[in-house]
This record gives sequence, C-alpha cells and structure tokens, in this order.
Amino acid sequence: MTVSPLQGVGYACFGLSYLFAFLLELGRLFWPRAAWRPAGLTWGVIGLTTHTLYLGFNQPTPAAAYGSLLLLAWVLALFYLYGTIHYAKQAWAVFVLPVVMLLVALSFTLFHADTVTPDSDIFHATAWASGARFWGAVHGTLILLAAVGVSVGFLTSVMYLIQARRLRNKVNPGRVVPLLSLERLETMNRRALNLAFPMLTAGLLVGTLLLRHGHDLGDNWFSLKVLSSGGLWLVFLVLVYLRYGANVPPRRLALLSVAAFALMIVALAAAHPFAEGGGAK
Amino acid sequence: MNLRAIGCNVESAGVELREKLAFDPVKLARALAELPARYGAEAVVLGTCNRVELYLARADDEAPVHSPLVAEFLGEIHGVSAEDVRPHLYEHADAEAVRHMFRVASGLDSVVVGETQIAGQVKEAFDIAQKAGATGSLMNVLFPTAMRVSKRVRSETKIAEGHVSVSSAAVDYLRPIFDTFTDKTVLVIGAGEMGRLTLNHIRELKPARVLVTNRSPERAASLAMENGGLAIPWDQLDDALVQADIVLSSTGAAEPIVPRKRFDEKVRARRGNRMLVVFDMAVPRDFDPRLHDGDRVSVFNVDDLNRVADQAAAERRKHLPAAEIIISLEVTKFVQDWNRRKDGPLIGQLTAEVDRIREDVLAPLLGRFKGKLSAADLEHIEGAFRSFQNKVLHGPIAALQEASRAGHSGTLREALMKLFGLKG
Repeated sequence: MTVSPLQGVGYACFGLSYLFAFLLELGRLFWPRAAWRPAGLTWGVIGLTTHTLYLGFNQPTPAAAYGSLLLLAWVLALFYLYGTIHYAKQAWAVFVLPVVMLLVALSFTLFHADTVTPDSDIFHATAWASGARFWGAVHGTLILLAAVGVSVGFLTSVMYLIQARRLRNKVNPGRVVPLLSLERLETMNRRALNLAFPMLTAGLLVGTLLLRHGHDLGDNWFSLKVLSSGGLWLVFLVLVYLRYGANVPPRRLALLSVAAFALMIVALAAAHPFAEGGGAK
Repeated sequence: MNLRAIGCNVESAGVELREKLAFDPVKLARALAELPARYGAEAVVLGTCNRVELYLARADDEAPVHSPLVAEFLGEIHGVSAEDVRPHLYEHADAEAVRHMFRVASGLDSVVVGETQIAGQVKEAFDIAQKAGATGSLMNVLFPTAMRVSKRVRSETKIAEGHVSVSSAAVDYLRPIFDTFTDKTVLVIGAGEMGRLTLNHIRELKPARVLVTNRSPERAASLAMENGGLAIPWDQLDDALVQADIVLSSTGAAEPIVPRKRFDEKVRARRGNRMLVVFDMAVPRDFDPRLHDGDRVSVFNVDDLNRVADQAAAERRKHLPAAEIIISLEVTKFVQDWNRRKDGPLIGQLTAEVDRIREDVLAPLLGRFKGKLSAADLEHIEGAFRSFQNKVLHGPIAALQEASRAGHSGTLREALMKLFGLKG
C-alpha cells in the first residue's frame, strides 16, 4: 500500500492536536487557570479541522477498517467539541478525547497493516454512492450511525459508573472533577441506545442480504467481523430488554454498554467480508 | 485621613454583651443623629448578630474619636456601664480601619469565612446612615469601595464557594444525581428542625411538589401549609415514598421507620428505575443505611452532610492568603486615591496663585515690548515664563504627593499654605 505524504502528515496533525487538547483539558481540571480552556479548545478545533481536511482529501471508505474507525473518530470529535462548549464546567473532553485518540491510533495502525488492496471499487467512497453500490452505502451509513450511538452509550456509561461509584462511597461532590448528573447521563445513554439499536439492526440486515445475494459467502458467516457484529446485536437486544422489559439497576446497563463498545471496536477493526469474499459476482 | 473603626465581635465580646449592644431601629436612628452632632464625625453603624461596629471619620485637623469615647456613647445609648463595654472594644485607625472594613465586607472576618450575607448587611448599614445624613466625603467613598472589593475577592478567589452549613450541603449531593428539579417530588418525614432547614435550601431548586407526613396530622398540615405542600397521612408513607424523588427525614423515632425489608417489599419495585435520594437527619436514623447503593437509592445521614460542610469550610480557608493580598492592594490604592483627592484642591489653589503672580509680572513686560517685538517673540517670552513656573512648582507638588502617599503630608500642606497664602 502506498502511503502518500499528505496522509501521514494528516494523522500526525490531528492525532497530536487531539492529544494537546486532551492534556490542556486535564490541566484545566487539576490546576484551574483561565488560559487552559481556550488553549484546549483551539487545539481541539485544529484537530477537527485537519481531521476534516484529511477525510476530504483521502475519502476513506467505511468498508475498510481504518476508514470506518477514522469516520467514527471524526463524528466523536464533533461530539467532543459540542460537549466541551455546551458543558463548560464538566470533565467532558477528558472522556471523549481518549476514545477519539484510540480510534485514530487504531485506524493509523490498520491503515499501515492492512494487507487488503484498496484498488477494489468498494474501497472508493464515490463508488459507495453510485447506483451499483447503493445498498452497500446504506449498510455503511447505518452501521456508522449505530457506531456513533454505541460510542456515546459507552462514554455516558463510563461517566455514569464513575459518578455512581463516587456517590456509593459518598465522596464530597465539591472535591472531585465535575461530571454530568446521573439523571442526564442515563437519559443520554437511553437515547444513544434508542438510536443505535434500530440502526444496527437495519444495517446488519442490509449487510446480511448483501452477503447472501451479492457475494460468494464461503466461510464469511464465521468471519470475525460477522461474528462480533452478531454478538454486538445480541448484546444490544439484551440491553433493550433489560432497559425496557426488566427492572435492572442502571449500573448494570452501563456495564453492558461498555461491553457493547468493546465488541463494536472488534467488529469495526476486523477485515470486511466484502473484501475477503472475493467481491461481487 | 482621620478614620476609626471601633467595635466588638464574637472574638472580643460574649453574646450577653453583644445582645445588650444590639441596635434596634430607634436606637440606630438616635445614634446616627447624635454621632455627627456630638463629635462632628461622619458615622456608619454596622450591627449584625456577630458584631457591633462604629465607623467614624472626622476632619484631618481634629482629634480622632477613640474607643473610650465610643464606650461611653454605647453605654449611654444602650443603658449599660461604659466600664463593662470598654475592655471588649477594638479600635482600628486610618489605613487599618479601611483594611478592617474591606475584610468585614468580604467575609474574611466572619465566623463562617467567605459568607456572603455580611456584604448585604454592610450595604444596608451604609444606606441607612446615608439616608440619615450621617455620612460625608470619606464614608461615601469608603463603603461603595468596600462593596466593590467584596465582589472582587469573591470572584477572584474561591473564598465563597461550597456549602458550609449542614442543611445547605444537601444541595451539593443532589447536583450529581439530578439534572432538573422542577419535575421532582420532595417528601418531608417528621418535623425536625434540621429537616425544615434543609427543606428551605431544597425549595430554592423549585421542586414540583412537596409532600409532608408526620405521626401528628396537625404538625404535617402546619408544615405543609408553611411550604405550599400537601399533607399525607402517616399510614400512606409507603405510597409517598413511591412518589418521592427526594426525602428529608427527621423524626424522633427510636427505631428505623424504613427498614430495608419494608422498602424492598413495599416500595422498590413500584418505583421502577427512578432514582431516590434520602437525607436522613434523624438520630437514631430513620432509614436503613444498607439501602444506599449510589445508583437507584442514595442515603445520606447527618455525618455525611457534616463532612461536606467541614470540607467546604476548610477549602475556603485555603483561599484566605489570596484574599488578603487583594485586600492589601485595595487598601493601598484606596489610601493613595483618597490622599490624591484631598491634595487636589490645594494643588489647584497653588497653581492658580502662581498663575496669577506670573500674569502680574508678565502683563506689564509684554506691554512694554508691544510693537517692538514680533508676535512670535512675545509668544516665546510667554512660553519661557510658563516653563519657569512649571519647573518651580514641580518640586513642591511632587513632594506633597509623595508625602501623601506615605501618609504624612500635614506639615508640608501647612508650609505650602503659609508660603503661598493659601486657604487649604
């Protein structure tokens, strides 16, 4: 795989910008100074801008693992910027930015390690929007939206678990880094689940039909991507049942949301069966 | 500046004496009428439950009002012996009186460091004195400045942050749990004082409903009426617990009124996943502490709230040095500004007097050269005289300002007034 200089610079630019923004946010929380916040926001905006430019120049497709992770990181970077501006006093960025950086780092690693040739039509974003690849594009968009929901669910769950732990230990709220209230986190988590489950279901359904009718399946039903995606859907089914059908404490739901995120990362990072399955008939 | 701050507070006098020295509106009006009349002083009287202080300013050339005189005055107004009052009075003079005023207004001299109520009390004391005509040029600048300094201290330090009373600390525990309160139901169980005080703080969050239950229906009805709430019969406690989001419990029961078994069997399932926060103010406790899980049910007792209040107070004290630095800077600035303001008229007179002398000398001279010299030459001569005058005056004016900054300009002022025939 040929790595263009622009691509290499792009990863370094937004990856490091997010890192600086994260460090400045950490500094703001532990050693409050007026200058931390604007400096952190500036680096965050620089990161998001270079990230956007990189996506615009390179148009990575969601069919490739590195592409889907990079697109997800971009959506979460938007989420970080919105939250940092909207919840000025909360420790928002210190939770969202590590996930963004993790996704960027994973994407970077897969970008260099990917042995699958990107010359196939499915690896060009423009091809996804064409009539021939319409259902592939629908599948990719739905999975990406579901991934955003899973990520938001994960972030709010982590914050919920920390906040609940503080309350269980009766930690003085005035002496710790501020987080959103349990009530708000629970609402955000529920909305994320409500968004992610239908998207994931529809996305996987479209993907299954594509695998069944448009590709030579072979052993793809048992590929890591398909298995982890199926596992993720089952976890979500359990989550929906526990949330709406059983009286389960929110803390347990939060733990399941964390597990769902781990499964999603495996599913996104795994090689795509469309690529492994030998392409369209 | 001829300013004195004389009075007593919780550290210098017991509550028995402070009670006797408390000013009611009638005594306050009398004091504000008599202090200027009797001592020729501007006066402000600050009376709170923790302090009684008189701020008195006289003209610079008059003797200051000292604490023995104030002890006599207070004794006369309140009908107590001056001898009983005098040992308990402290006295701060001039810049130190300004510092004391700024510290009091900023809550640095309060029992609960950083409390904000005192700022309102200082403002009220000033407003009353001003309306009574007891203030003058110094007080009219000092008190508004004190209010500004108080705001600066609170905004630039964390001296006023956190809840330092047990009842207000409950709010600190509610914020990490609930996002909005306008849809919440508060249930008050019992009619203990701590529960009432806590309810006052929680009502500021504007909850949707207040329910009150008590073994005595009359007491429940009374408390409900006071707080715009609804009285619930004691035997419907379980139903009320199902509806409630926040519970304040302060009964005098010897045994827990909500043991774990009762809650699990009759309340928990009916509540679904809604969060419940219980503030158990009773000793012995009303709620089984094992109900606390920090997730769906959080139970906080008096010790938990005490700890929050104590930690908030300790946290405030950490910001005292920063607050004291701001106060010191503001005191220095105030004294300098005041002295400059006081010197202004004298410097104006001096300049006008020398202007007059220059004009007297210059007018005949220019008249003599009129027609012989060009307009430019005449202007040049006039400029030279003005320059000479400025150079001569620069030394005395600079010396006066320097002495004012150092706080001892009296002799120099007198000398200038005598030398140049000024009125001061």
